[in-house]
Amino acid sequence: MGLEVISDIRTDYVYNLLESGKRIDGRGFHDYREISVERDIVNKAEGSALVKIGDTAVLVGVKLEPGVPFPDTPDRGILMTNAELRPGASPDFEIGPPNEDSIELARIVDRGIRESETIDLEKLCIEEGEKVWMIFIDIHALDNDGNLIDAAALGAIASLSNIRIPNERYGLVLEETEEDTLSIRDTPVAVTLVEVEGNLLVDPNLYEENAAACRLTVSSNADGTLSGIQKSGSGGLKKEQISEMVEIGIEKAGEIREKFL
Amino acid sequence: MIGHHTMYKVVVPGDFISDDMDRAGVGTYVDGSKVYAMSYGIVITSDKEEKIKVAALSGKYMPGNGDVVIGKITAISFPYWIADIASPYDARLHSSEFEQIANRRIEFGEMSNYLDLDDLIVAKVLNVDALMRIDLTLREEFRMGTRGRLIEISHTKVPRIIGRNGSMIKMLKEKCNCFIFVAKNGRIWIEGSESGMELATRAVKIIANEAHTSGLTDRIANFLDSFEEKGTEKKGKEKKRKENRKNAIDRLIGIAKNKDEKRKNRTYKRW
Amino acid sequence: MKKEKIELIKDGKRLDGRGFEELREIKIEIDVLKRADGSCYFELGNNKALAAVYGPREIHPRHLQNEKTAVVVYNYNMAPFSATDRKRPGPDRRSVEISKASRCALDPVILKEYYPKTTINVYVELLQSDAGTRTAAINAASIALAAAGIPMRDLVSSIAVGKIDGEVVLDLNAVEDNHGEADMPVAMIARTNTITMLQMDGRFTKDEFEVGMKLAEKACHEIYELQRAALIAKYSESVNANVNVNVNTGRGEE
Repeated sequence: MGLEVISDIRTDYVYNLLESGKRIDGRGFHDYREISVERDIVNKAEGSALVKIGDTAVLVGVKLEPGVPFPDTPDRGILMTNAELRPGASPDFEIGPPNEDSIELARIVDRGIRESETIDLEKLCIEEGEKVWMIFIDIHALDNDGNLIDAAALGAIASLSNIRIPNERYGLVLEETEEDTLSIRDTPVAVTLVEVEGNLLVDPNLYEENAAACRLTVSSNADGTLSGIQKSGSGGLKKEQISEMVEIGIEKAGEIREKFL
Repeated sequence: MIGHHTMYKVVVPGDFISDDMDRAGVGTYVDGSKVYAMSYGIVITSDKEEKIKVAALSGKYMPGNGDVVIGKITAISFPYWIADIASPYDARLHSSEFEQIANRRIEFGEMSNYLDLDDLIVAKVLNVDALMRIDLTLREEFRMGTRGRLIEISHTKVPRIIGRNGSMIKMLKEKCNCFIFVAKNGRIWIEGSESGMELATRAVKIIANEAHTSGLTDRIANFLDSFEEKGTEKKGKEKKRKENRKNAIDRLIGIAKNKDEKRKNRTYKRW
Repeated sequence: MKKEKIELIKDGKRLDGRGFEELREIKIEIDVLKRADGSCYFELGNNKALAAVYGPREIHPRHLQNEKTAVVVYNYNMAPFSATDRKRPGPDRRSVEISKASRCALDPVILKEYYPKTTINVYVELLQSDAGTRTAAINAASIALAAAGIPMRDLVSSIAVGKIDGEVVLDLNAVEDNHGEADMPVAMIARTNTITMLQMDGRFTKDEFEVGMKLAEKACHEIYELQRAALIAKYSESVNANVNVNVNTGRGEE
């Protein structure tokens, strides 16, 4: 209960500041908090990245294992994305099976990666219909100060950008023509905005997230095309607002891509 | 209440009602100085009142202070009886309400001697607080007998069962020769002969189904008249109706002394 | 079997004969379930959705309650036999996400503050599927909520747009969805043009996205008119409220 009271007071604070054109941490409406990306920090994973956006921290790890392909795509590798909102990351998170928030987070990140076709799944076929590489992207939230989605999506693409395929571990012999690294063809980046009382804010912190009625995540590719959009939250948005959010999303994705990918 | 000078127009949530926000009545909301419907219902404008109302065609009963409702005891949690009143929220009746009638103190463990699970009560809503705790009072009200029939309709149809100035309910009572009590929460208690209760039940169902139509009173009158000959002979009918009513009230006021065995054996949680 | 490339547009028409901006046939029936507080059966082409609304009702345990407002719980469920491949019964990741997005689509119109501490349950069963199931489900749920007498600001209408053979088209069927390049389900409050659900996957340029939004907006207005007409018809055409009114105004094959 005590916590709820504090968050209510903070929500008013967010509104009041926005009225005078200010954000709670002094940023411009379209500014990200400071971003850092640290790659390959888990040596057991085929790829990993620790992404921090302000005080929000997400660790993403990628593992590859051989597995049986889906019947309708016998010549393609499998991509699986999972997210865990660990209770250490927030008093609001609980131990237990994935809930709607962790599932939504994982699926937004998954769609961004999948639909951009950054990974050529056909190259991950070991033996058609029998054996393909399965790529597991696991998102581990470490500290939630808002906007886990963008941190997770950036962590996912950063982890994928330098992966060695573990052939030896599974007794697979490479033919000379084959590569043992996974190459990525695109760099999808997710940018999340919230709408608070008519204001559009990029990269919401936790208080802004709680104050917002609406959240929109825009995933876009290197050529500026869109690979995913997701609206969340119990409010509505005007078409013009969405257009503006999509435009800002594409622009911000470009800046992040240039700096970190 | 749906009166004589009314027009029936069905609206859905979001339908435009008026440009004049001063006319926003129950069942409407104001957005940008215009009035819109917030319920799927019937628009009601009357000569007497300025406000335009939208009477919902369906939905749950929300208790208001002073409403008389029929409740069913669902739990006993000393010192309260908990009653289901056909609302999203349970209501509670303090044991002191009964102490006034019993003229003695009701101790822990004794409450079921006065009102047991599944017993029906008629009560008035004393207070609804911000946390939606609903207190009932029995004062001037009564406990119901076991020989009548309880039917339940949507509370939104209650005004039509009663009719303008009570015209519909008066007609029902007379033509069915029954004691009929209509509670605000859509529960209706009927006592009379088997055939009378059956006729009243059928009539109530028709009214509920056709509540949104006009000319209902005439149609119900025709319906009831078509059964008149088959019913009890007209001679002495008025007398019998009065007798029935007196008996019903007598039964209702008295506290039932004999509990059937089934009820005695029933166990329930006390805490 | 591999996915083969098939031609989805021939002579300016889609495989089922529809134009680019044409909806599938829509059929609406209201209060088809006896026990629910409100219900609606909604067909969109070959999609068959059945929505049931229960509540508001008081919930336990208490930690699920909100002291100030009602809590809306939306459950989207595909019947095991509803698709070509049998769907394993029970919730999966897809249905959990769709349920959340759909709840967010309806939340903005429900006046939850009228029923503190209660839940409003919306259960939508997909009996038959042919792409666009979540939009059919939302259309059904919106009508069922109104029929249950839940106070609402408005109705919500929903439809998907997508891209097939490089063209932005309205309301994809399953063949188009499987072989298409993008899919974007949208829900909106037609009267105020407020978007309450927006999801997209595939590849859209910004311009294609804008075209898609315009198509969706126009179609949502059409669907809204059908939803409203069905609700009005239930109490206008018949004196017997137990008779289900059948509104069949879809355009389908013309």
